[in-house]
Amino acid sequence: MMTGAQLLIRALEQEGVETIFGYPGGAIMPVYDALVDSRLDHILVRHEQGAVMAADGYARTSGRVGVCMATSGPGATNLITGIANAFLDSVPLVAITGQVPTALMGTDAFQEVDIFGMTMPIVKHSFLVRRVEDIPRVVGEAFHIAAEGRPGPVLIDLPKDITNTSTSQPPLFEMKSNDLDGPDPDEVEAACRMIRAARQPVLYAGGGVGIGRAVDAFREYVRASGIPVVATLKGLGALPTRDPAFIGMLGMHGNQAANEVVQAADLLICVGARFDDRATGRLDGFAPRAKVVHLDADPAEISKLRHADAALLGDLRQSLAALPTDLSLDAWQAWCSERKQTREWRYDAPGKGIYVPHMLRQISEADPELVVSCDVGQHQMWVAQHCHFKRPEQHLTSAGLGAMGYGIPAAIGAQFADPAARVLTVSGDGSIMMNIQELATINRYQLPIKIVLVDNASLGLVRQWQQLFHGERYSEVDLSDNPDFVAVAKSFGIPGFRVEQRTEVAGAIDRLLNSEGPMLAHVCIDPMSNVWPLVPPGQTNDVMLEEQSA
Amino acid sequence: MNHTMKLTICRVEGAMIRALGLIERRGFAVTSINATENEPAQQLELIIGLRSADRSVDVLARQIEKLFDVCSVSLLQHNESALELKESMAC
Ligand SMILES: Cc1ncc(C[n+]2csc(CCOP(=O)(O)OP(=O)(O)O)c2C)c(N)n1
Repeated sequence: MMTGAQLLIRALEQEGVETIFGYPGGAIMPVYDALVDSRLDHILVRHEQGAVMAADGYARTSGRVGVCMATSGPGATNLITGIANAFLDSVPLVAITGQVPTALMGTDAFQEVDIFGMTMPIVKHSFLVRRVEDIPRVVGEAFHIAAEGRPGPVLIDLPKDITNTSTSQPPLFEMKSNDLDGPDPDEVEAACRMIRAARQPVLYAGGGVGIGRAVDAFREYVRASGIPVVATLKGLGALPTRDPAFIGMLGMHGNQAANEVVQAADLLICVGARFDDRATGRLDGFAPRAKVVHLDADPAEISKLRHADAALLGDLRQSLAALPTDLSLDAWQAWCSERKQTREWRYDAPGKGIYVPHMLRQISEADPELVVSCDVGQHQMWVAQHCHFKRPEQHLTSAGLGAMGYGIPAAIGAQFADPAARVLTVSGDGSIMMNIQELATINRYQLPIKIVLVDNASLGLVRQWQQLFHGERYSEVDLSDNPDFVAVAKSFGIPGFRVEQRTEVAGAIDRLLNSEGPMLAHVCIDPMSNVWPLVPPGQTNDVMLEEQSA
Repeated sequence: MNHTMKLTICRVEGAMIRALGLIERRGFAVTSINATENEPAQQLELIIGLRSADRSVDVLARQIEKLFDVCSVSLLQHNESALELKESMAC
């Protein structure tokens, strides 16, 4: 006989789970009790949002399902932002929450919230377990659903009486895995016709390329077809960002060349992307002359925002392999390369202050294998624009949700997923405060994570929008009373240092990357620094503001 | 545009709310609803009247089809106009 809690732990072990990020409390106590006798590694974070975002970083880095756990009520609600983050970025995740005993459910009991109901719009699926015997099946299904097709978060809500009940149910549950099908032959034929007829085709790569394990197939197709490539924020690394065929990131903070190439295209081959508004700008003016071939694992993405002239559903690898390659695109390739060269970023900004784009470029050149997580704001866009990525898993960013506070927990998850990886997180002085407590987790487990804190003493991206689009009416964006971040880090047991001058940058990078354990570089920059270029909200991607034009 | 959708869902906790919640969240108003239990099959058959000014009911059907508690979806009355997608208002 086992308790439901022991059965849960056995079922998780059967699923191959090794690491769980979590935080205990009343309703989940039976599970924490069962953990004592388990070989699972439980990582104690300092806030449940840290747990779910670490599980997310773990999943993105490893390609495996991330697991997090929290108690009922406030523990469960603290997971919500992270679950939404995983939902919008299609990250495979299982979140386990304790619940008050079944008999008390629906009575407004202490620490009772309907987390099953609250998370419905942001989960791929969810379970409320009513019978102890169901635990192995629910765990099996949850892991299967989280990972299959287009991945996403799955919630398992476990009432305390269920985890306390004894049962003789075996922990085994076999899920048959159903591989994705290949595309419809008629659609393939239509797509091939369009690709052969196109003079100015562009491959538009999204996060689906990495998620669908289609990176090799994608690169093979790029090589064989010679079609120029642009990527979304999540698509970065689908093709190494240094590859000559890579034109750049498209969209609001993309580069001019990528947007120009897309606007001029007569065919967009969208691979695992979803025409997100940050990528497309004003939709009715996005790639106005282009037909669309859409490759995706998710049928619900087809023609959701932009009509697809051909839809290749299913396994991206099979779809890519079916596309024609013998194309003659010399003139178009030359034009795209010329655009790329003309719009090449210049790193020789005037002044003595630290120029973040250059600093980030130098960091990623110093260690091309770095896994870089970031928070949300200007610094996030600078990471996307100026760091090099050889593979998608190197770049951990909260793309769909844009959740400040993602960077540090994601880095923690990445480090647990790959203890040998060199992990860097780039944060802002606003964002870092959203999960600063996780510095304690870095210290507790002695994770050698490097932190670059870009401090502009303000909520930079919001300040930039107020400057550009609200007539410089600055409202609640000043953070000049920030704490001494080096002292804060030190109090968590993490050494740090401050950098203010451009001349100090090279030495600082060296010191940061070559330190043994964790280290924080507190980089102070001009509060009025802005991210360029930028497509103003509501405009088409033809309209990109540059520094001079603002 | 008015549509009628027939949904068969499993009789499991949350299935009905999940389906109806998705319909409203994706920009459709429910104008009528009729539910019949199929006891032996542990299923519920829903006939739902829907209205939306500008959203594609085909896309909605595919979104609903993805729900794990949904057994089948069909459109009984299908009034899809030529796909008309409005500019995203998000900023
Ligand atoms: C949780 C959360 N709250 C609010 C926002 C809105 N927001 C987007 S960027 C930003 C400013 C971020 O400031 P900071 O972390 O210092 O980065 P910077 O833009 O200065 O580089 C804010 C408040 C958000 N994205 N996430």
